[in-house]
Amino acid sequence: MSDLVERLKAPLKEGLIDVKASRGRRVFVRVRRESFRDAVSHIISGIGVRHLSAITGVDMGGEIELLYHFAYNSVVLTLGVSVPKGSPTMPTVTDLVPGAVFYEREAHEFLGAVFEGHPDLSPLLLPEGWPEGVYPLRKENDYNKLHETELRKV
Amino acid sequence: MSYGSTIKVPFGPQHPALKEPEHFLFEVDGDTVVSVKPRIGYVYRGMEKAFELRTYHQNMYLAERICGICSHAHTTCYAQAVEELLGSEIPPRAKYIRVIIAELERLHSHSLWVGIAAHEVGFDTLFMYVWRDREAVMDLLEAISGNRVNYAMNTIGGVRRDLNDEAVQKIRGVLDRFEKNVKGYSEIIGKEQTFVKRTRGVGVLKPRDAVSLCAVGPTLRASGIKSDVRLDDPYAAYDEIPFNVITDDGCDVFGRTVVRCGEMLESINIIRHALDHMPGGKLKVSVSRTVPPNETVSRVEAPRGELMHYAKSNGTTKPERYRVRSPTLANLAAVCQTLVGVHLADIPIILAGIDPCFSCMDRLAFVDRRGGAWSCTAEELGGGRGQ
Amino acid sequence: MIAYDIFQMLVFPGILFLFCLAFLYEWIDRKLFARVQSRYGPLYTGPSGILQPLADFIKLLAKEDIVPAACDRHLFMWVPIIYAVLPLTALFIIPVAAQTGLVAFEGDLIFLVFLFALTTIVVFLAGWSSMNRFSIIGGVRSALQMLGFEIPLGLAIIGMAIAAQSLSISEIVRWQSGNWWGIWLQPIGFAVIMICILAELEYVPFDIPEAETEIVAGWQTEFGGRRLALFRLGKDLETVLVSALVAALYLGGPQQLGFLPPVAGFLIKSVAVLALLSFARALFARFRIDQMVSGMWTYLLPLAILQIVLIQFGIGR
Repeated sequence: MSDLVERLKAPLKEGLIDVKASRGRRVFVRVRRESFRDAVSHIISGIGVRHLSAITGVDMGGEIELLYHFAYNSVVLTLGVSVPKGSPTMPTVTDLVPGAVFYEREAHEFLGAVFEGHPDLSPLLLPEGWPEGVYPLRKENDYNKLHETELRKV
Repeated sequence: MSYGSTIKVPFGPQHPALKEPEHFLFEVDGDTVVSVKPRIGYVYRGMEKAFELRTYHQNMYLAERICGICSHAHTTCYAQAVEELLGSEIPPRAKYIRVIIAELERLHSHSLWVGIAAHEVGFDTLFMYVWRDREAVMDLLEAISGNRVNYAMNTIGGVRRDLNDEAVQKIRGVLDRFEKNVKGYSEIIGKEQTFVKRTRGVGVLKPRDAVSLCAVGPTLRASGIKSDVRLDDPYAAYDEIPFNVITDDGCDVFGRTVVRCGEMLESINIIRHALDHMPGGKLKVSVSRTVPPNETVSRVEAPRGELMHYAKSNGTTKPERYRVRSPTLANLAAVCQTLVGVHLADIPIILAGIDPCFSCMDRLAFVDRRGGAWSCTAEELGGGRGQ
Repeated sequence: MIAYDIFQMLVFPGILFLFCLAFLYEWIDRKLFARVQSRYGPLYTGPSGILQPLADFIKLLAKEDIVPAACDRHLFMWVPIIYAVLPLTALFIIPVAAQTGLVAFEGDLIFLVFLFALTTIVVFLAGWSSMNRFSIIGGVRSALQMLGFEIPLGLAIIGMAIAAQSLSISEIVRWQSGNWWGIWLQPIGFAVIMICILAELEYVPFDIPEAETEIVAGWQTEFGGRRLALFRLGKDLETVLVSALVAALYLGGPQQLGFLPPVAGFLIKSVAVLALLSFARALFARFRIDQMVSGMWTYLLPLAILQIVLIQFGIGR
């Protein structure tokens, strides 16, 4: 596991912000937005990780953190990127990992992250007529208030 | 037989082929599917947001109800995640009980699936027989936990109920009978030509696509890829129990059937091994209510595939963020790929092939106060311009 | 005697008797199907559930009749009636209670084949007039299915006509009472006709036009209430029709068995055919339409032709 981290550190250099391994098989690596795509392509072609378990979006207040959970045998390697809430744009990974299509759509729908280059960012889970700009998983949206959301007539 | 233009055939949200509501819009040319657009979220319940409002112990009840058939997998995954955030280790007896209940759940889930698959191809007789025999497992689970689904066996720090000797005897008896039944079904499925003709070569997912589309579970294993969370990333007591990972090279729905039947037999062996080697001791450890700031990922092999939870704590009694990614969502991209270019008649069996559990996949459904009507004009119905 | 003729036509072995047979046969079919599946089947209405089909019929008559706004009203109205009446008409030419049918003329066999084709056209029109994409697909599948089974069915029917040197079903039945039954003379023809009958009735493995899990209810989707009641009655009458046809052509038809009247012989034979159909329904999965049509043309048609060739060589006359 630790050599996995070493193999990541080398090509990324300053792109890598932080590495944490709470226990043996869970590694959390934070990178900058600029070196994100290099990190992903290095993980896939250099290290040979193929399976993306999920993409999680976390509202951190002023930023949105996107976590890409890669599963590699017994290790879950999570790649974290922070984007500012005002302009939450991210490059897509669907060309490298085709299975990411629905996860990116979900992150877009619920947190407002925009993935440049994604083939189709239309809503997946929310009902039609859901108002634009209301992202349910952002902290400013209160759970009870969301119940009162008026759906547009479609 | 082409109409010149394609017809859009909606599958769902209400459709006899779907046991839960989802919407797939198929564009069909004659009898061949040209494209498919899924719209999910009909059973979405706002779970991920709801998790943030409740304490960790209250969230256990919420996690259980994400899904009916995979309820134990969700609670196991949840309990593991929180136990890891806390850094606590659960007693070995609890681990073994978790394994036994998880495998019993796998048995009843896979036999449910075999019945549904038979029903989708019109083989109602097998459907009736399998569901009749499945009742034995459901009665057993009810005897152990008090409920046929949603067993509430897990708690943070261990399990809540024990398996006494009477329960162990019952389990062994049911397993013996069920093993004979499963072997019988595998034989029928392999020999009944009408069933084989409907499932062989149908819904083909090549291994390369299966990996790149991040498929999980029996869908992935039926394409020959040996990947199983119980083996790759062992949790509970799976590192101490030997078992085989069943794969098949068929890459089609028939392969997925074979994999699931094989997994049922493996589950029976796992349960027997666990019962033989069950350690004594406590059932749970007590844990603190506040969880120090931490984050972790928890993975479990649910009957449908890899189930993944991500948990982030912030030092309070409520989670900062809790993410649930269920196996059906992971298989959605793969199944959409397999649906292009197939006959219309094969759609239900292919959709059923990934064993969809849409309750797990969606997790939120806000109040559906649609003012707009779902109206279709005659031209749309006749000309097929879509919804 | 006009009164006797009217009695025969309306009561026995005419319309009333046939309706009773239709419900009885549906009950037998459902019971056998259920018992194979380790279920009870109809149980409560009447002794052992025998009144269940009648109860279903009455219930459907009482239900609300919804007509889709976009449908072709005239077709939509007439199709269920025609569908129920066609098998009834066909049953008049099949011997049920005596060696001759109520109506018998030279060539009524061809008339029967014509009625079969007409039934399929009516089914197609039912799907078409509903203006619902599931119904249209169901109707089209039904027409495609006919392309598969019609020729082997015709050949299997003609086989016995050649043996009896007559195109009248009543003649064929009379011929069999002096000779061997059709099933011993032409077993291949019997097998072919049994399979084609399954397709004609749209029973599993050939219930493709009505595949519940794929296209809701196929061509019957939009019909409810009285119309659905008529469709189900038509389906039951068709079941009686095909069992009676196979019993007449291949099993010797109504014959005196010891002290039992001919109608008892007829009942026993056609129920035996029905039992075979029910078991087939329980034992197989459903084919896909392309598999069905190609299977019919690849396997069944050559067998049917083989039977005819054998007859020409004197085997089976």
